[in-house]
Amino acid sequence: MPTAEGQLTNSDRRNMKVVMDRLVPPVDDLPGAGSMGLLDEVERMAEEHDRYRVSLVRFLDALSMDMSVEAEGGFLALEGEQQDEALKEIESSIAKEFANVLEVVYLAYYSRPEVHRRIGWRSGPLQPLGFTLPPFDESILDTVRKREPFWRQAPD
Amino acid sequence: MVTSHDRVDFIVIGSGASGAAATWKLAQGGFKVLCLEQGPWVDHSTHPTNKANWEELSRTKWHYHPNVRKGPSDYYVNDDDSDVKVLMYNALGGSTIHWTGHVPRFHPSDFRVKTLDGVADDWPISYWDLEKFYDENDELMGCSGIHGDPANPDRSPRQMAPVPLGHDGERVARAFDRLGWHWWPSDSHINSEPYRGRPACNNCGPLGYGCSLKAKAMTDVTYLPEAMEHGAEVRANATVYNIATGADGRVTGVNYYDADGGEHWQPANAVIVGCNGIGTPRMLLHAASDSHPTGLANSSGLVGKNLMFHVYAGATGIFPKGEPTYRGPLANIIMSQEFYETDLSRGFVRGYTFQMGRGMGPASTAVGGVSWGSNHHREFDERFGNVNGLGVIGEDLPLESNRVTLDPEIRDRWGIPAPRVHYKLDENSKRMLAHGVKQARTALLEAGAVRVFENQHNVNAGWHLMGTARMGDNPKRSVVDGYGQAHDADNLFIVDGSVFVTGAGVNPTPTIQAIALRTADYIIRERTDLKS
Ligand SMILES: Cc1cc2nc3c(=O)[nH]c(=O)nc-3n(C[C@H](O)[C@H](O)[C@H](O)COP(=O)(O)OP(=O)(O)OC[C@H]3O[C@@H](n4cnc5c(N)ncnc54)[C@H](O)[C@@H]3O)c2cc1C
Repeated sequence: MPTAEGQLTNSDRRNMKVVMDRLVPPVDDLPGAGSMGLLDEVERMAEEHDRYRVSLVRFLDALSMDMSVEAEGGFLALEGEQQDEALKEIESSIAKEFANVLEVVYLAYYSRPEVHRRIGWRSGPLQPLGFTLPPFDESILDTVRKREPFWRQAPD
Repeated sequence: MVTSHDRVDFIVIGSGASGAAATWKLAQGGFKVLCLEQGPWVDHSTHPTNKANWEELSRTKWHYHPNVRKGPSDYYVNDDDSDVKVLMYNALGGSTIHWTGHVPRFHPSDFRVKTLDGVADDWPISYWDLEKFYDENDELMGCSGIHGDPANPDRSPRQMAPVPLGHDGERVARAFDRLGWHWWPSDSHINSEPYRGRPACNNCGPLGYGCSLKAKAMTDVTYLPEAMEHGAEVRANATVYNIATGADGRVTGVNYYDADGGEHWQPANAVIVGCNGIGTPRMLLHAASDSHPTGLANSSGLVGKNLMFHVYAGATGIFPKGEPTYRGPLANIIMSQEFYETDLSRGFVRGYTFQMGRGMGPASTAVGGVSWGSNHHREFDERFGNVNGLGVIGEDLPLESNRVTLDPEIRDRWGIPAPRVHYKLDENSKRMLAHGVKQARTALLEAGAVRVFENQHNVNAGWHLMGTARMGDNPKRSVVDGYGQAHDADNLFIVDGSVFVTGAGVNPTPTIQAIALRTADYIIRERTDLKS
C-alpha cells in the first residue's frame, strides 16, 4: 500500500509491474508495459498530476485489500487469468480511478519509440513536419452541386 | 493599496473570440479601448504540437476541462449537477486557443424558431442583420472553404480554398452522395494557404491543443495584434472581480487583481463583457450592488438562465487498413446538414449537423476505448489510423432550469465564487441524438466501415456556452437588446454566446464574433456619447 504521501512501496512496485503487463501484454518482439520498464514513467506522471496520483494510490489500496487476492497469497501469487479477474473486480468497484490508471499506463506505453515502430507512428513532436495531403479537388463536389438550395426561408 | 488608472472609453473584459473582435473593431473606430484578460499571453512554441509528449499534455496541462487542467488563470467550474461537462480555456485568445476552428454559420431559420416551429423564442435580429459581420469576421480570421453550399444561403467567396479533405474525407463525402444526402466541405478558420502573415496548416492533426504553427486562427494571433496596431491596449493577468455601478445604475469602471494580487481600479465610459456563457453570468451575478440587487443587469432574473451547450453524440466507424486517418485537421473535413431543418416526422423539433472527425494519436486511440488485456493489441491495431467519426451537433432548446448560479462554497484564489452549472438533457434532445446516431451509422457503413461504435451522448462536450444573458426586445424576458446593450445599464454591453436566444445546430463561434462586431459597429455609429 502506498505511503500517506503517495510514495509507492517496493511491494507496490512489484505488483504494479505485473499489473502493467496484464493491462498491456507482450506483442511481437515487445515485452508487456511493466517489463518494458515504464513504471518510472507512470510514477513521474502520478507525481506531477493529482488526478493520476490519487487514482494510483486508490488502485493500489484496492489491490492490496482485495480479500480474494489476499486469500491466494497476494496478487503476484495468482495465475495470469486470476490476476485479470482481480483487476476486473477492481475496475468495476472503482471505475473512475481504474480508468485513470489505465490512461497513465497507455500514455507511458504509447510514448515509446519501439512501440511507435511497431504501429508505424513517427516519434517526436508533430511539428514542424506535419503531414502532406493532396490539395482540395473541386470535382468531388460534382454531385452535391446539382442539388437545389434547400435551406428554409424565414421571415425577416 | 488600490492602483487607479486613467479613464478609458471602453473596457472589454475577456480576450477570446468575442472580446478580441470587439476590441479590434472599437479600436479601429477610434475609441480608446482596454482589453482586460485574466490569463497570460501563451508562448506558441509551448503548444503541445511542438512537444514529443503532446498526448500526455493534452490529457493534463492542456486538458479541455479547467478543473483537470488547473492552470493559474483557470477558475473551478462546479458542473457536478450537469449532464454535460464545461470546457474552456482562459488566456489571451480565450477558448480559441483550444478550438478546432470549424465555422458553419447559423441558418436564417435559426433566428425565427418561435415563428417557424412554435418553440423557444425568436431573436430580435435576423441572419441578414449579421451577414456582413460574418463576412468581416472571415476576413480577419481567414476562412478556408468554398461557397455554393445548397444547405445555406450563398455567401461571398472564402479567403482560401478548403482544407484538404484527405482520402478519408472523400470516402465519406462519396457515401453521402450515394445516400442522396447533403454534405459540404467545412468552412474552417484554419489557413489552407498563407494568410495575413500566418502560414498554411501542415495537417499535423490535433488542433484542439493550440497550434504552434499559428495556422489556426486564435484571437491572440488574429484580432489582438491588429487591435493593438489600432491603439488598443491589452492587459494580461488582469482578473476582473467587480463591475462597479453608480447610484443611477450605470457602469463606472471595473476592479481587478493583477498576477501578484495587487488591486486596481480602472474607470471607463462603458464596459463590454466577453467572458463566455459561463464566465459572463458569473461576473454579472457577482457584481450585485445597491442599484442592481440581484446581480448586474438582472432585473429580468434571467442572468444565468437558459444555458445551452449543443447536445453531442456520434458514431465511429472502423475502416479497412489504408491511408492513415490521423493525417489532417481533426475535425475540419466535411459536414452534412441533411437533417438540419425541422421535420416533425423524425420525432423531434429542430435539427442537427454532422461533423466528420479523424483518428487520433496512439495514446489517445488507446484511451478512447481500446480494452486492456489479451485483446488489447488486436483492438488497437484494428482502430489505430483506421477510424473516422461522425459527430452529431444537435440544437438544445433553452430551458430556464438549465442555468448557471454562484456556488455558495467554492471560490477561486481571488475569492470570487465558482460558477455552478445545472443542466439536464431534455426529451427532444434525446430523440434528436438517437436519430442522429442511427443516421451516422448508416453513413459510415455506406462509406465502407466494417464496424461502427455508437456514442449516444457525449458528456465531455460543453465547449459551446450560450444563452445565459439572452437578447430580446422585452426587458422582462431578456437581459440585453439586439445590439447587446443591457436593458438595465445603457453603457454595459455583452458580446459573447450568453446573448444567444437559441443555439442552432452548428458550432457557434462565427455567430458570436459576428454579434460582437455588430455591437461594436452600433457603438461606433450610435454611441459617440461614450467616446471621450
Ligand atoms: C476544445 C474546444 C474546441 C472548440 N471548437 C470549436 C469549433 O470548432 N467551432 C466553434 O465555433 N467553436 C468551437 N469552440 C468554442 C469556441 O472556442 C467558443 O465558442 C469561443 O471561444 C467563445 O468565445 P468567447 O469570447 O465567448 O469566450 P472565450 O473564448 O472562452 O473567452 C473568454 C475569455 O474571458 C476571460 N475571462 C473570464 N473571466 C474573466 C475575468 N473575471 N477577468 C478577466 N478575464 C476573464 C477568459 O480568461 C477567456 O480568455 C471550441 C471550444 C473548445 C474548448
